[in-house]
Amino acid sequence: MEEQLKTDFDKVVKSLKLSEENIKLRKKNLNEFIKNGFPNKRKEEWKFSDLNQIINSNIKELTFFNTDSKPSYIEETLYIDNFVHNKIVFINSYISNIDFSHEKKDRIEIIENLDLIKNNNQTNTLVSLNSAFLSNYVKIIIKENYSLNKPLIIYNITNKKLDSTTVNLRTDITLEKNSSLKLINLSNDDSANNFININQNFKIDKDAILKNYKIDSQDNLNIKYFFNNIDLSYNSFAETFVFSTGSRFIKNEINCNLNDKYSSAFINGIINLDKSKHHEIKTNINHLAENTKSYQLIKSVLDDKSKGVYQGKIFVDSQAQKTDGYQLSKALLLNDNTEFDAKPELEIYADDVKCSHGSTSGNLDENSIFYLMSRGLNYKQSRELLINGFLLDVVEKITDIEIKNFIKSIMGVKE
Amino acid sequence: MLKIEGLKANIDNKDILKGLNLEIKPGEVHAIMGPNGSGKSTLSNVLSGKKGYEISGKVTFEGKNLLDLEIEERAHKGIFLAFQYPLEIPGVNTNIFLKSSLNAIKKSRGEKELDAIEFLKLVKQKALDLKFDEKILSRQLNVGFSGGEKKKNEILQMSILNPKLSILDETDSGLDIDALKIVSEGVNALRSKKSSFLIITHYQRLLDYIKPDFVHVLINGKIIKSGKSELALELEKKGYENFN
Repeated sequence: MEEQLKTDFDKVVKSLKLSEENIKLRKKNLNEFIKNGFPNKRKEEWKFSDLNQIINSNIKELTFFNTDSKPSYIEETLYIDNFVHNKIVFINSYISNIDFSHEKKDRIEIIENLDLIKNNNQTNTLVSLNSAFLSNYVKIIIKENYSLNKPLIIYNITNKKLDSTTVNLRTDITLEKNSSLKLINLSNDDSANNFININQNFKIDKDAILKNYKIDSQDNLNIKYFFNNIDLSYNSFAETFVFSTGSRFIKNEINCNLNDKYSSAFINGIINLDKSKHHEIKTNINHLAENTKSYQLIKSVLDDKSKGVYQGKIFVDSQAQKTDGYQLSKALLLNDNTEFDAKPELEIYADDVKCSHGSTSGNLDENSIFYLMSRGLNYKQSRELLINGFLLDVVEKITDIEIKNFIKSIMGVKE
Repeated sequence: MLKIEGLKANIDNKDILKGLNLEIKPGEVHAIMGPNGSGKSTLSNVLSGKKGYEISGKVTFEGKNLLDLEIEERAHKGIFLAFQYPLEIPGVNTNIFLKSSLNAIKKSRGEKELDAIEFLKLVKQKALDLKFDEKILSRQLNVGFSGGEKKKNEILQMSILNPKLSILDETDSGLDIDALKIVSEGVNALRSKKSSFLIITHYQRLLDYIKPDFVHVLINGKIIKSGKSELALELEKKGYENFN
């Protein structure tokens, strides 16, 4: 793999006009990745999801440079028409469209200069891989006091023209003081057996609000790693909702830093799997200041031979008195061949905090099925009602009504 | 309508029903009384098709073999079980559930399914007839309902699904006197020449409100005595012990 990495790295650098400084930074990241490779189960954070093994058994030949240059076409049929929205469209490794036509031009700044990228997380080898090979990048700055009129949808599209087996994408979003953004990340895959590595970084200034809905609902055989870093300032708010069901493998890693007082982070997630899919949600919530709040609710439904993992960590710094941290995981295992692993971690260095966690897993309740069937519903209908009911309260946590209804329609959940 | 001959049921190698005979004709109300552990709930479970029992004997419903039918097929044929402990089903809206149920039953009979407006009209009328607050129907099925509300909800479901044979499994348990009256009035309002009832109860109390045509005493998996409604009073006086 090392040879391929080096060859493709030279091709990437050659295809882009980069500053010397940027090339140096990329080389450092490349070497970091060469040294560590894809993480395997010997690493504590990857013990339930051996990415190295998953990649080896699903991707024949790893390549890192996509020769398909910026596409001229826009696949408009892939856009959703449920509601009017702004969009950023990634097709394979490239940005094909950035459209903020519903907003005031001077309130949103769009930066695409790769030279401006700085490293934010040196200890993460997959972020290093991303930084080394990134060929397109966008940074959005929402200006002070501006709330977008319409949601932003980031489309992550892959199709058959993709000719490398890895894709590295990155978006940075800064929400200036008292601004707000509703964001949907929507995956659409018409490719198979690729590794898709998406890095998103959010900086949320004082009193700003981010709502981020991450939807991977379409059946596909790709392997994905989503890394989100969220930095929160005074009295800011971040809501993340994960709907994880489509891909062969996904690890959603969400790192939240509650850097200042009265900031809060909500993470709600659904893992709904069949076949031999394997999805993980891994969170790191860092309470670094007083009076910060975090809330996590993750529900999983596993069928066939699928596997779900939730690792939720709450760290409370000695400064972070009056922290309120909560996490709950519930899993429904529909048959004996499924596996669910939960690892809650609480690391608390302050003494005046309220932190709790819980985890349950179990089967569908036979008595409930009997009750529903005795009213004339067949087994399949009864099972669907119970599963929908099980997942409903996570969906109800979505604070935006328009997007909640959209997600309900994707999930086929009624009321 | 319902004919039970030599019904035996066994669960976990334990014989619960040991050769039970019973016949219910259209329009009749039968009460089965018995002490704890006599097999009352097993009988209602077996009739509505709950899995997990080893069963022998013969049960026919309108001439057809009932034991061959799936749980939902029995509901389609017109059998309804009002549960002793109605289950709480989180995330399932009562109205939506009931509409699916009613339409599943209608569909199986080749009848026209109801749309949302027709259904709501029906529910409103039934709730009014039974003096129930229809608001409970917009809540999640039985979630956070009081014992009384759960039982009322069972009776309301019964009136909406309009079964031929209703089995009431200890519907009186956990009800205060006011709730008992409302539930009983609901049952009485549903009595007709076509619909039959099998009322399973521990106490005679319920039978003050719902007057049965026949009373049977179930002890140790068998009906040991049958009679008219006066039998319930006799039983209340003497206690089950003296019937052994």
